[in-house]
Amino acid sequence: MAMLFATWKHCVYVFATGLEDEVDTFQEEHERERHRGKRRDGERAKKKKRANGERRKRASNVGQEEEKLQARREKKGRRKRSSSDQQAEGREGDEAEQPTTKSSKAAKTRKNVKNEKTRKVEKEEKEDEADDEERNAKRKKKHGSNKKEENVEDGNKHTVKEKAGEVKKKKHKKVVETSSEKETSEEEDNEEEDSEEKEVRPETLTPEELETLKEAVDERKKLIQGLRGKPWAMKKKLVTLRESQEFVEKYEGALGKGKGRKLYAYKVMMTKKWMKFKRDFENFKTACIPWEMKIKEIESHFGSSVASYFIFLRWMYGINMILFCLTFGLVMVPEALMGRPYGTIPRKTVPRAEAPSAMDFAVLWDFGGYAQYSVLFYGYYNNQRAIGWLNAYSYMVVIRTMARNANESGVGDDNSFNFSWKMFTSWDYLIGNPETADNKFASITTIFKEAILEEQESRKDDNIHLTRFLRVLANFLVLCCLAGSGYLIYFVVRRSQKFALDGLENHTWWERNEVNMVMSLLGMFCPMLFDVISALENYHPRVALQWQLGRIFALFLGNLYTFIIALMDEINLKREEEKIVKFNITTWEASLYNISASENSTAPPVTIQPADVPRGPCWETMVGQEFVRLIISDTMTTYITLLIGDFLRAVLVRFLNYCWCWDLEAGFPSYSEFDVSGNVLGLIFNQGMIWMGAFYAPCLPALNLLRLHVSMYLQCWAVMCCNVPQERVFKASGSNNFYMAMLLVILFLSTLPAIYTIVTIPPSFDCGPFSGKKRMFDVIQETLESDFPTWFSKVFSSASNPGLVLPFILLMVLAIYYLQSTSKSYKEANVDLKKKLQTQNEENKKKNKLAALKAQMDLEEARKAASPSAEHPKNNNASPDQEADEEEDRGRGQRMYHSKNGRSPPPPRHDGHLPATRAPVPRNYHHGNQGSAGYLPGFPRESEARMHRVPSLQRH
Amino acid sequence: MVSPAIALAFIPLLLTVLIRCRFYFVLFYRAVLVRIWRDCVTGLSREERAYQYVLTHATPGDPESILDAFDVWCSKVEFISTIGPKKGKVLDRMLMEQSPLTVLELGSHCGYTTVRIARSLPLGARLYSVEMDQRNAAIAEKIIRLAGFDDDTVELIVNPSDEVIPRLRSEYGLERLDFVFMDHWKKCYLPDLQMLEGTGLLGKGSMIVADNVLFPGAPKFLRYIRKSGLYEWKVHRATLEYSRGIRDGMAELVFQGIK
Repeated sequence: MAMLFATWKHCVYVFATGLEDEVDTFQEEHERERHRGKRRDGERAKKKKRANGERRKRASNVGQEEEKLQARREKKGRRKRSSSDQQAEGREGDEAEQPTTKSSKAAKTRKNVKNEKTRKVEKEEKEDEADDEERNAKRKKKHGSNKKEENVEDGNKHTVKEKAGEVKKKKHKKVVETSSEKETSEEEDNEEEDSEEKEVRPETLTPEELETLKEAVDERKKLIQGLRGKPWAMKKKLVTLRESQEFVEKYEGALGKGKGRKLYAYKVMMTKKWMKFKRDFENFKTACIPWEMKIKEIESHFGSSVASYFIFLRWMYGINMILFCLTFGLVMVPEALMGRPYGTIPRKTVPRAEAPSAMDFAVLWDFGGYAQYSVLFYGYYNNQRAIGWLNAYSYMVVIRTMARNANESGVGDDNSFNFSWKMFTSWDYLIGNPETADNKFASITTIFKEAILEEQESRKDDNIHLTRFLRVLANFLVLCCLAGSGYLIYFVVRRSQKFALDGLENHTWWERNEVNMVMSLLGMFCPMLFDVISALENYHPRVALQWQLGRIFALFLGNLYTFIIALMDEINLKREEEKIVKFNITTWEASLYNISASENSTAPPVTIQPADVPRGPCWETMVGQEFVRLIISDTMTTYITLLIGDFLRAVLVRFLNYCWCWDLEAGFPSYSEFDVSGNVLGLIFNQGMIWMGAFYAPCLPALNLLRLHVSMYLQCWAVMCCNVPQERVFKASGSNNFYMAMLLVILFLSTLPAIYTIVTIPPSFDCGPFSGKKRMFDVIQETLESDFPTWFSKVFSSASNPGLVLPFILLMVLAIYYLQSTSKSYKEANVDLKKKLQTQNEENKKKNKLAALKAQMDLEEARKAASPSAEHPKNNNASPDQEADEEEDRGRGQRMYHSKNGRSPPPPRHDGHLPATRAPVPRNYHHGNQGSAGYLPGFPRESEARMHRVPSLQRH
Repeated sequence: MVSPAIALAFIPLLLTVLIRCRFYFVLFYRAVLVRIWRDCVTGLSREERAYQYVLTHATPGDPESILDAFDVWCSKVEFISTIGPKKGKVLDRMLMEQSPLTVLELGSHCGYTTVRIARSLPLGARLYSVEMDQRNAAIAEKIIRLAGFDDDTVELIVNPSDEVIPRLRSEYGLERLDFVFMDHWKKCYLPDLQMLEGTGLLGKGSMIVADNVLFPGAPKFLRYIRKSGLYEWKVHRATLEYSRGIRDGMAELVFQGIK
């Protein structure tokens, strides 16, 4: 909002200056004329200092505060006037007084002119009579007596006009006051210069001067505070900042008196130190945020959309950190420390048959061998309950973030003020790289083009049938693609089961890792195909992006669910196997018992090595293994794609370009862009898999943490090293919540299968924390019965009966419905209010316009009233230029006619234009007269000079 | 051995590449395969075939109809790299605005662009067209004469451009070039431009237009004009002639001189 406001202010300012340009030229003209008179006068010529001295003398003579202020102001004006002359005419030559850069000088001239103008209003009332007299005398001398009559007659007219001009000027001033900060700051500037010029010791100052000095210092401080929000060029800001800081430093200490002064200085010093400390602390805080500098750098190069991905990545990292802490602290560490150590019971030991190869790398890589019978997987655990925390926590975090984001993003509505939004908010102020800025510029241009086209196309729609057909076709193709990929995955998973039955050792690495490979490859290539297909649809790019995201989402989800369904089949297979094993074990135990019983009834029971105990297949561990493998291969594919697709490509493009027949960099292969949507989706699905698998493999969050950590560095490097900024840079703030929503959906969808398996499939009999129970959730009841007091379980059981639960759910549904409806009504009210604001704005505009019209009418009236009075002296003259007078009359008549015409349908430019500079009278006159006199039509210098000279004449 | 399932997973990639680059494949087919085949069948060069077509289908003395015949041949029958009708319109507009008196064309190929430029020149203007290849130059000569431009309007110089440019002042008596059109080897754009600067034939306001700066592309040329500061320049973005999907651009440079 602040940014918008700043831009708006800037715009208003530009607008105001644009209006004032004409006024400015007028002013300059006037000033130049006056100055010429002054110089001819000779005694007041060049040095400002002298003028200042004079001023001061006079001021001190009067000794009144008011007088002094006025004098200061006037002095300021004088200085400005002379300096503007310096710069405009370049005659005075000694520019050494103002050793500033060219730009700041230009700014100053503008300032001067403007300042002059603002002063102007007051000047009329306050300016010294003596000055005027002198000046007028000079002018009279300069313009010979032959033109005097003309001057007089013109003068009468011009007084009127001048007055009108004054009115206008006041109005202008009002306009400018919207950007009043600037004005005030400029005044401060002047004050600074003034007071520096004084070169006085604080001790010698009178109390009044001290007062003004204090004011100046205060204003300066204000300026420093508000400097950041000003719509100036950076250079100017820096210059102003430095100047005002110097000023404050110089005079701040001088303000107190005697003893107070020391205290004051001390206070000032302390505040300064405190400020510095605060700033350092801020810097320190920024340095403490992980990867902040990296992300900022990327942001400056690639715009905020790419940066938003990395911020999202960091956020994910944080979440995974907490998940990891939870699993580690609540599950893995207690098991490792307090549970029985490795090798004590069968589920914690590698079976005898697998022992020789358990330490082989190939086996470990597939998470078999020692890894399988370790703390990493479900099967190892003895008796634990605390895993439900993870998902609860994740839900909480995601929903909370979403709510926060929704608050932020609910502000803008895109439909009304479409173009204004685009105009004022489309620039990304974080960009610091020229190339990206170019791209952003181009993209804004295209956005405008598209918006205009859209406006045009919304009126006419040609061949809607073709577009519809193409869209249906595209969706059909995408569906085919999705079905194909789903079937491929299903096929592969079934095949892998066949391999698993045969024994994995008989197959190659490719065949063993087929599932993961195929899933990763499909996840990589299908989005590309979707992208190509979506070109058919001819959607707006933003809509197209959403479709694209939706399709990729569907693809990933489909793949994941196919994978899970295939896993379910496998689980069922394992359970069949389990039954057989269970039967075998009972017979084995029985035989063992029989042997020991028959041998010696008193002998201690035979101790069997836990490695020798036959055991079931333990499907939970199998599922965990699958997930871990999937994630590992996914990570690998991501990194390899990064290296090949980005880095290798960049290297090839860069170095083959020297000897290739077309331009590789600008042309076909080019460098790759950073694919924000694909990367974000990858991240989200990865997280989904983590949530899904964390129940069966508690090590997953740790693995994910590692992956995110590495990918943070790797991707940061890859982006900076081998990607180019996107051609269509778009702002990402709007889509943030979209990502969050997707994350939530994924979270929900990933917990579903886990809950399903927990609820429907009985746990294996000899591994995991729930071994021996019928269902996994039996543990809740058990806990209730054993760990909590009896009244609690009673309460729980009574609470869980349907008579209580159903009304509760109903109530909740009703509450949700009510809240939603109220929020909807609030939204509507909001929209209504906005509309009201808009209409009010329009009304205001109309009112302003009316007021302007009225002012113009008054002006005309005044002119009409003035013109007969102007004719009187002329008629008295009965002069040689009678003819000219007649012609002038005609011209005036024309003018009247013209202006009447102009009034009836009021042209908007007319009213800003008319009082400002070129009065239509002389022009019309000359057009009528075919250039008789010495000045040309449309060359208003002379006439304006007269315009200003005359009022003073009259006063004289 | 890679399993068939993994191979199947690559199908989307294959499809993507096919669809993405379909214009390039079409271009390759039309510009290379068809050309080779026709060369073998007819025994004539591509330019000669184009000339034959134009001779039979266009009205002699009418540049418009000759250009039309060329366009039809290039878009329907075979592919030949000329400037094409769309970029040609841009070129026409620039010529109209500039109305140059001395024009240098580098690379006339078979005369399409020469005719195009010559027809929109003001009265008394002169066009120097440089072509390196002897056979192409012969065809170009025929086409130009067919369009009705005589030796005073169009002068064909059969020589490599790097030999011609240094001698322009001495042999052809040129004082200043108002308009230069480059459409020869993309590698020669930069050296030729530098050579032109060296001869001092470019004055303030001289316009240089370079075709195909994006595809096949002249990156060094673009980099140079971006840096040199001697020119006001912009790139007119368009597509490659007679092809919809390949982006191409035409650089327009206005010589400003050293400020």
